[in-house]
Amino acid sequence: MSNRYTQHTLSNGLRIVIETMPDVRSAAAGFMVNTGARDEVRDAAGVSHFLEHMMFKGTGKRTWRDITVDFDRMGSSYNAFTSEDRTVYYGWVPTADIEKQMELLADMMRSTLPTEEFEMERKVILEEIAMSKDNLDHVAFDFLQERLFEGHPLAWPVLGYDETVASMKRDVMWEYFQARYAPDNLILVVAGNVDAARVIATAESLCGSWKASGTKDRRMPPKLRTGAVSLQVEQFKQQVVALTFPSVSARDPVVETVSAMSTILGGDNSRFFWNIVQKGLATRAGTYHMDYDDFGVMILYATCQPENCEVVLDGMRTEAKRMGKDGVQEHEVQRVKNKRRTGLAVESEAPYHRLTQLMDDMQTHGAPRTVEQMLAEVDAVSIRSVGEYLEKYPLTGEGFLTSVGPRRWPS
Amino acid sequence: MLTDDGHRGNENPKRETVGASMTEVVHDSLRCGIEYGVVALPNRHVVSFQFRFLSGTGSEPVERLGLAHVVEDTLDKGTAKRSAQELSDAFDAIGAGRNGGTGRETTTFTCTVLPENFEQAVALHAEFLRTPTFPADAVDVCLDLANQEIEALDDDPAGLVDKYISRKVYGPLLGRHTLGEPETLERIERADVERFWREHFRAGRMMATVAGPLPPKQVADVLEKYFDGFGSAKRDGRNEFPIEFSPTTTHYEKDLQQEQIGICWPGLPATHAEFPTQQAVLGILSGGMSGRLFTEVREKRGLVYWVGAWQETPRGAGMIFLGASTTPERCDQTYSTLLREVDRLAEDIEQAELDRAITGILAQQDTRGDTTRSRCSELASDLFFYGRPVSFEEKTAKLRAVTVDKIRAYLRDVPRDRRCVVTLGPRALSESRGTTGHEQPLHTTHA
Repeated sequence: MSNRYTQHTLSNGLRIVIETMPDVRSAAAGFMVNTGARDEVRDAAGVSHFLEHMMFKGTGKRTWRDITVDFDRMGSSYNAFTSEDRTVYYGWVPTADIEKQMELLADMMRSTLPTEEFEMERKVILEEIAMSKDNLDHVAFDFLQERLFEGHPLAWPVLGYDETVASMKRDVMWEYFQARYAPDNLILVVAGNVDAARVIATAESLCGSWKASGTKDRRMPPKLRTGAVSLQVEQFKQQVVALTFPSVSARDPVVETVSAMSTILGGDNSRFFWNIVQKGLATRAGTYHMDYDDFGVMILYATCQPENCEVVLDGMRTEAKRMGKDGVQEHEVQRVKNKRRTGLAVESEAPYHRLTQLMDDMQTHGAPRTVEQMLAEVDAVSIRSVGEYLEKYPLTGEGFLTSVGPRRWPS
Repeated sequence: MLTDDGHRGNENPKRETVGASMTEVVHDSLRCGIEYGVVALPNRHVVSFQFRFLSGTGSEPVERLGLAHVVEDTLDKGTAKRSAQELSDAFDAIGAGRNGGTGRETTTFTCTVLPENFEQAVALHAEFLRTPTFPADAVDVCLDLANQEIEALDDDPAGLVDKYISRKVYGPLLGRHTLGEPETLERIERADVERFWREHFRAGRMMATVAGPLPPKQVADVLEKYFDGFGSAKRDGRNEFPIEFSPTTTHYEKDLQQEQIGICWPGLPATHAEFPTQQAVLGILSGGMSGRLFTEVREKRGLVYWVGAWQETPRGAGMIFLGASTTPERCDQTYSTLLREVDRLAEDIEQAELDRAITGILAQQDTRGDTTRSRCSELASDLFFYGRPVSFEEKTAKLRAVTVDKIRAYLRDVPRDRRCVVTLGPRALSESRGTTGHEQPLHTTHA
């Protein structure tokens, strides 16, 4: 491991990962909580996300106003987000303020979830849910998850449902918070022009007294469905068509191969782009490898006019079949590798981008990956590795078809 | 009275080097007439560059709206040497991350590559900018997709509000939408595309900015090598467009869960002496979660998830925008709270919130400034608005000179009573009932 990276675990189980970036003028710090929508029960769907909002609402020593004022006093670029399998809080500041930034984030992790703020935040989240219903992509993605993972916690939207948010009890949230936000379920990540020993000492003084909970994950991969379902929403003008197939998990060693294959099929300069979008069939067509620690799926998708659904689906199936039969070309693999190299160089400039990559690494591999390691994985991608992947995970079966828009298709 | 002390319109930039925060910044003109700027950042691992042409939707013939976007989109769909796909492959072969965009006043092409690929990336840009073939089928597909995207815009409430409010705020020239309108796209032919390119894509209308670990002399040599003789060097496209602001309140009926609210009034242009004061005002209103709008509209009243204030600064003008989305029964309260908060600022502004706003703006020089792309984009904006690079020190000093009294003077002298309001959704504001979608200045279809 390069000495650019430092890992340390406090006695209460809090893991700390630091990347030292001597050429930059800023630093980013963040807590990643190993919890998200897939850890919820149906009646409390949305609790992880609601909790993320409540974490900004007050601590033993700060009111909600103090928290936002303290962030802004540093000029921090800060936010938080919740996904299916993690919740992240971060702040990106000039280097001189990194310890203040860590202190503020650490204080937030011990929120009091003030009762008096609970109702106000409920209103905000109900507005967020309403906003999501006006967004075609959001509606289409939620529908895909709801049907593909039916009966599994991944079927529930991250924002929750109107009724679960409207009836959410603070006591339920508090219990969830105590179980999931213990130090042995958290990772502190710091990237930037920082002194690693000093970061560890600061973290020890801020978080060393927190009590571990011994929380264990009970995550299980879902059973994937095949078939076809549609959701007719007359409010929209366009149709989103998506075709989903099984794929590898984020932990699989061939994940760079999957990424390369996905880019060649559905990236910027891809087969979908030239043979679907540039044929005027759809405004957008692409691929998305949705990968979790325990499973993954490959989604082929397009946004098109409702009357073009059949031809767009046929175009996606044709390209997927052609790739399965003829494989990919050497120049296609090479250009994807080249773009990835530039991407890694761009990412290495900014502490915030490194922070998010380190969080991905920790979630998936349990350790940071050096740029050299990532480049080696990129270099290992070949025509053969793509062929082997497609043989194991073909994109030619029935798949699971979803369609959302004004047209009830397939009927 | 507020006065304009800008430096915009530097017709013939002299070679100048600005020492700023240990970085070398060069601003000069090439023999061929291209104005360029370079910020040398020795420790970076990538180079970012932007080619900006002083021509956008404001330069389109009125009967062919959407033409500038069609040109931008089809420029790289075939050159004298390569097909569209071969050109894309050539860019990918050097790992170039690139983008193009059509704006009201300019069309830009941005690119980020590893330093060793800089020259080849410039060569490929020069190839499609100088020798495009505009294949007829590519133009047809682009027009077809533009029509589809106009329909797709209907599924993007915030994008629709932007389209509707822009035409009222800027008028018939700068208020045009990038995609044009179905009836104007119908009139565009391949010959129009080529004519527009010949007229607007040439050295005298081009500004190049580069940031990264390359010596400025090397950058200038590469640009000269590939752009020498690129059309007329005559400086053009540097004048302001006329703006026609219409202070109206209009509601567009649409079946949505939320009501979208857009509010705008004229502010100050980027070149104005009090522009830093305006930046600070926006920082106080919307710079972070402690900003007044987030605090009062969201945190204290729970009216919205999203609320914000921002500015747009075409040359010679500045427009202040407020935006929010909320469920229909709360739109009147949200609207009045938004306006009330701006007015209240003049009554009870505190030094601490001004300090936070300034710190927030300055901190981004360290955070976002760590990315090469952002340094390139900042230099490009300086050249466009001020006709010269502006050092961090100068920007910092101007922001630090903003005081509470200046904020009060700004709020007194920049009137907000002539404002433009657009709502989109199932319910009109109480004050606008009866004005539903009656204006159609640019052949629009209603939402």
